[in-house]
Order: sequence, then C-alpha cells, then structure tokens
Amino acid sequence: MGAYLLRRLPSALVVLAVASFAIFAMVRLVPGDPVATLAGPDASPEARAEIAAELGLDQPLVTQYVTWLGQLAHLDLGTSYRIGGQVSDLVADGAVNTIVLTIAALLLAVAVALVSSVLAVVLDKRWVNAALSFGNTLAIALPTFVTGLVLILLFAVVFPVLPAGGTPPDGFIARPDIAAQYLLLPAVCLALGAGAALTRFLTEALRTEMRQPYVTTARALGISRRRIVLTQALRNALPSTITVLGIQFGTLLGGAVLVEAIFTWPGLGGLIEEAISGRDYPLVQVLLLLSVAVFVAVQLLTDVVHAWLDPRVRIGGAA
Amino acid sequence: MPDLEVSVSTPVLEVRDLAISFSHPRPAVRSVSVTVDQGEVVALVGESGSGKSMTARAVIGLLPDGAVATGSVRLRGEEVLGLPEAELVKVRGRRVAMVFQEPQTALNPVRTIGWQIGEALRAHGGSRGRAARERAVELLRQVEIPDPEERLGFYPHQLSGGQKQRVVLALALANEPELLLADEPTTALDVTVQAEILALLRRIRDRTGTSILIITHNMGVVAHLADRVVVLRQGEVVEEAETRELFAAPRHAYTRQLLAAVPRLPGPGELVQALPAEPAPDAVPALEYDDVRVHYGSRMRGRVLPAVDGVTLRLERGEVLGLVGESGSGKTTLGRLAAGLVPLAGGRVRVGGEDLAAARGRRRVDLRRRLAFVHQDPEASLDPRFSIGEAIREPLDVHGVGSRQSREQRVLELLDAVRLPASFAGRRPRELSGGQRQRVALARALTLEPQLLIADEPTSALDVSVQAEVLELFADLQRRLGFACVFISHDLAVVNKVADQVAVLRAGKVVESGSAARVFGEPAHDYTRRLLDAVPVPDPTVRDATGPALHPHVAAS
Repeated sequence: MGAYLLRRLPSALVVLAVASFAIFAMVRLVPGDPVATLAGPDASPEARAEIAAELGLDQPLVTQYVTWLGQLAHLDLGTSYRIGGQVSDLVADGAVNTIVLTIAALLLAVAVALVSSVLAVVLDKRWVNAALSFGNTLAIALPTFVTGLVLILLFAVVFPVLPAGGTPPDGFIARPDIAAQYLLLPAVCLALGAGAALTRFLTEALRTEMRQPYVTTARALGISRRRIVLTQALRNALPSTITVLGIQFGTLLGGAVLVEAIFTWPGLGGLIEEAISGRDYPLVQVLLLLSVAVFVAVQLLTDVVHAWLDPRVRIGGAA
Repeated sequence: MPDLEVSVSTPVLEVRDLAISFSHPRPAVRSVSVTVDQGEVVALVGESGSGKSMTARAVIGLLPDGAVATGSVRLRGEEVLGLPEAELVKVRGRRVAMVFQEPQTALNPVRTIGWQIGEALRAHGGSRGRAARERAVELLRQVEIPDPEERLGFYPHQLSGGQKQRVVLALALANEPELLLADEPTTALDVTVQAEILALLRRIRDRTGTSILIITHNMGVVAHLADRVVVLRQGEVVEEAETRELFAAPRHAYTRQLLAAVPRLPGPGELVQALPAEPAPDAVPALEYDDVRVHYGSRMRGRVLPAVDGVTLRLERGEVLGLVGESGSGKTTLGRLAAGLVPLAGGRVRVGGEDLAAARGRRRVDLRRRLAFVHQDPEASLDPRFSIGEAIREPLDVHGVGSRQSREQRVLELLDAVRLPASFAGRRPRELSGGQRQRVALARALTLEPQLLIADEPTSALDVSVQAEVLELFADLQRRLGFACVFISHDLAVVNKVADQVAVLRAGKVVESGSAARVFGEPAHDYTRRLLDAVPVPDPTVRDATGPALHPHVAAS
C-alpha cells in the first residue's frame, strides 16, 4: 500500500505545480488591478507606483511567481492586501467553519445514500423506486439558493424551530446540541445534491451487483435477499462508490461557497468572494491552491481506500 | 419403519409436465418430465434454447423475472413450484443446491472462501464460530482442496479455475442437499481439470448418495458421469434412456444427430488423415515464430511472468496450424502476436517473410491487411449497431477498396460463401443465432482475402451440432481460398478435425509439435498423452472399463 501511494505521489505533485501556475496566471488575467482598488480612483501615479513597489507588483511576472513559490515552500502564505493580516490566520479562521460544514454535509449525504439505496434494493418495490427517483431528481435539479431559501422559510420562518443562519455563538464544542441546530439547515442544504447523486449511483451499482453470477450462487444457497444486499452486494459496490464520493467532495467544496452566503456562515466561501472582488492576489491564490490541494488529497485517499477494499488489488494475483 | 420406506422409494425429484413461458412468443419449456431417484445421476442434454437450464432453474425456484411456470416440481413428493420466496429460501441450498458453469464469476470476489462457506451454513441456521470453521474445513476436504485450513482465508482470485469450481461445489454441499443441480459444471474448465471435477462428482455421489441432475451439451461428459439421459429439444423431451442404451442404440433421429456431431479423437493406433503434401522447400512460410518471448507484468514492480517462452514454429502457406493447451499455456498470446497485438520481449514474428515488429507506417498497415482475426465470442466481436452487411463491408471501407457497388457485391459474395442468404445483409447481430453470428465473423475476416487467419477458439461458444457445421464450412473455405490459419482451441477433437500441424503448448513453451495425425495418433510427450486421456470419450463402455468407482446401479444394468 505504501508503494502504491508512493507511485501516485509524483503525479499529484505535478497536478499541484501546474495548478499553482494556472492560478497565478488566471488571477492576473482577470480584469482589475489591486493597486487601483487599494489606491482609490483619485490617487496620483506616484502613489500607485509606490503601492505597486510595496506589494512587489512592479517586478516581472516570473519573479513574482518564483517569489510566491519560495514563500509557499517556507509555509509563508503572505499578507493580505486588502483585509489585512496574515493569509494563514485568515484561512485558519474560515477553515474551521467550512470544514465542519462540509464534513457534516458529507456524512449526511453518505448516510442518506446508504439508507435509501439499500432500502430500495432490498425492498425492490416499484413505488419505493418511483419515490426515490422523484426525490433524487428534485434534489439534483433544484439549485442550492432555492433549496436554501425554502429550508429557511420552512424551518426558521413558518415553523421557527431552527436558526435561520449564523454560526453557534459558543463555538462547536461547548454546546454540541446548539451547534447541531445551527449546523442542520446549511448542512442539509449542501448535502442534498451530493446525497442524491450518490444515492443514484449506489442504487444502480447495487442493482448491477445483484445481477452478478455470485449473487445467483448465494440465492441458490438459500441466503435471503436482504442478507445478500447487506453483506455481499454492498461490499462489492463500495469501492466504486468511494470513488464517486471523492468526486462529489469537490462539488461539496464548491457548493459551500453558496451555502455559506445563504446562511451567513463565515467560512472560506465568504473569504474567497471578498478576496476575488478586492483582487487580493495572495489570498485568492492561496485559497484556490488550497482547494486544489484538498481535492488532490481526497482523490489520493479514495484511490488508496478503493485499492484497500479490493482484495484483488490488495493481495495481488494467484500464487 | 414404514415411513422411511416410503420416503426412500419416493423419487428425490419428480418434474411433471413442466412448461415455462416468457413474454416471448415461443415457450422456453413446453413439456418436460424428469425423475431423479436417490443416488442417481441424470443428464439433461440438449442444445442452447432447448430449455435444459430453465428446467433446472425451475427446480430451485430461480427462474428469471417474468417467467411463468406451470406443471409440477416435487422434491420427495412435496410440491415446490410456485412456492413463495420465503418458503423457497428454505428449500434452496438445504434440499436442492446448484453448481454453475462459470467458476470465475460464481464466487464473491471480495469475500474469503471461509466467509462464503460460513454464510451458506448460517443461511440454514447451521453451525457458527468454531464449529462452522471445522465444517468448512471438512467441506473443502470433501471437494479435495489441498491445505483446507489455509485456503479458508483465500479470496477467489487466489485460486485456479478448477479450485474455484471445487469451492462452488463445497458451497453447494454445505447443507447436505438431497439433490445437486449441475449446470454445465465443467464447460468452462480445461480438459484435465474437467476430468478431475467429473471424477469428484462421481465420488461425491458414491460417498454421500446425493442425487445429481447434470445439464450439459457435452456427450463425453454424459458418457462419463450419467446413469440416465434425458434428451431435450425445443423445450420437449425427445428421448429418455439408460446411458449405455442411449449411446448404443439411440432411438430418436435428433439423438443420433447429436451423437454424430461430437468431434472425436482417433483411438490409439488409428490412422487419422492423409499427411498433407510436402511444401516446396524454398517457399516462404505464411507465419514464422522465431524464438519468440512475451512477458507479462512490469519489471518495475518486480513481477515478470513469461507468457510465451522461446517458441519457434513455422506455418506453411495454405496450412492450418492448431495451437492446443490449457488456460495460461500462451496459445492466445501466440495468436495475438501474429497480429502484432502484443509487444514482443524477444525473438521475431514474420508474416509472409516480413518482420511485423520492424514494419512501419504504410508497410505495417499492408501487412496487417493480410491477416484477419476470428474471436471466440461472436456476440462480443460484432458491433450490435452495425447491420450484418455493414459489419462485413467495414474492412473494405476502412482500406478504401473498390467502388460502392463492388463493395456491396463483395458482401453478397461473402454471405454466399459462408452459406447465409443475401437477405441477412440488412439484419442486426442480435437477430442471428450464435452459429450464424460466427459465420458472419468468418465472412468479415475473409473480406480482404487474408493470407493468414487467426481463429481463437472460434467454435467454443457454439453447440455441438452448430460447431460441426461451422467447422465443416471453415475447412471447406480454407481448402477453396487457400489461406493459412492459426487455429487456437482447448478442444483437441476440434483441432484434430481442421489442423494439418499441431503444436501442444504448456506454460508458454512448445511441448510437442508435428503433423496432427502424428501428435494425436502417436503422442511422444507425456503431457500430450495426459491431455488426450483427459478428454471425456463419448462412449460409456470406455468409462466402465477405466472408471475407478462404479456405482452399483450402473454395474447392475
């Protein structure tokens, strides 16, 4: 397994290197200029030049890129132009909220997918399948900003049982029950799309497994359908589902930006929005690179889990 | 104890007037009646579509969705046809068990052997924990798997095909069923392994008294194993007889036809066929392997396995070279090498005197044009969206041969050559039977008039009688068109029928090669002899003469 990871590592590093360059270039290609934003409309050319020199933006692009990479290598993420303070501090503040939200949504999505797919395949009833397919289509089709508003209207306005937005005042640890209440709506909103996609995939994967010859063998031995689904088909459908889960994780990260805005959840989503509109180069670069890094890491992890779950990969060919 | 008396004399299985229909117009099974007595081995014989597998599936209640079965299926006098799923679960595995054709897929790939046997035991409230483990070891021992304790922790992919089939058998025997249904249990196996599994099935019957209903199209298997034979055709029983009686004096014309279609190997000392004419000594051979090597696995991961290990063979123009061997012998790799589909690790492959690997660009395309491939499974090798005419024409289109009219003309010629009506050009592959599809594959391969044809198990997926027709067609075309051919097959009798030269392969090496008459008539190598001996002879008297354990039932008759 270690060797497997080692072989995958170079390509992951190449992806990160290419991504760093693309991000660096893209940020500068976007119209708008941080100097203009910082200096204001009435600044003199001298003042602008001074600001540019201070930020290092008067250097050639190659030098800027190399300097940035050098800083990254020393784990120095730089200073924010606009918001002020160390980028690392800003990211760390927002990251906790975003991570909690994303993980909660991920767990929800997995739970929903597992329960509904297994139920649908075990019961194998027409109306269950129809209901599931209806719910899935709805969850995938409705955009986050619609489901978010509907959820707020329903559970915070019409039936005021949950907070409409914000993060728990005492943090996540001190009062877990309160934290859960704050977390519930945004997490559900974020989980819906990913959960539906995952359910759809897992249900189809389970159905495919149920048509495999080994399932016929098991049925011919008198093992019940429920047991076959739970102990055999699910175990076989899991590796490919893990891969899909890894891809869905990217969707979750992207969706978090919107959901955070809807539920006034101060996470990385708000931060990146602010950074982009203010052309805060160091902050944008770090945030984008971070999301690429997380995605790459998740892909690596899913590949490793996939390989580990499949004894044919884990143990290798016939002796 | 009169009760016991009754239950013993009641047949283990009694199928009466079974009929199974789908939404399709033709019923899969029209009227089948079969009886299996205690300790008896009954063979259900017939071609694909005869309803033999459906009959077995009806017995164990595993008919496909949408199938409607009428009639009666009794196990020891108890009706099981139409039982609800909750009741069937108790019957399956406990009273009737089933062994399937394809051991490669019949086991769950991500669970250990031990877990799967345990699951079979748990299904009927059997032993758990330590006792279950002991029972699993006992079962593996019963199906003669070496080191059973250690094998419990193995995953299916760590076992060979024959061992997997033994595990499937162990699963079936786990709850001591009275009746074992075996659906083509040896068809997917090599001959030597097939012989072992057949012998094992007989020993299991002798030891445990389990009745066996075996479904097969292989008359050799029938002769080897069955006490009684039921011949099915299009969902109806056409003949039923004791095995010896059936082989000695088949009553029904269809049975005679089935028996005649079985390709046979020559007996010891029998003269097979006239030796082919000596080729002119200076002629360039159609195909030459010169100390050819192929490796699998990557050097980086430190696992290099030789698939082909120093093979030197020569195929003259207009001759057929049969490559025989068991799975993993490298015969398919050799065929693919001739088409340049596998990277060479050493040696040379020359097609018509030219080195395939050295040719580049246009030259390579021309060389490849001269050879054609026929695969085992015509269903997989024909694009379902192409009509038959388009499939045959495609090589002409690809190489831009002739005008539109001349291509259409060529398609009709080819259809005629493989004895299919011209109207087939507009049909789709799925509208054709397996044999017809394989003829189309043959026509497509011959489109560009190749000098070399590589046929990889071209008849293995076909029924015996269809196989006989396709082989005859093949031999006829080969004589008329004079192409050279590499004919790959695990079936020695089939190779014997078409090949001039034969090479016996084992673990990537040529064990023996020479004229087919010589290699099969007077094998020089032990391995060849062993392969020949393992082929089940379609003659029950041979079994009685050589078979180690005779069932009293057979001995008495």
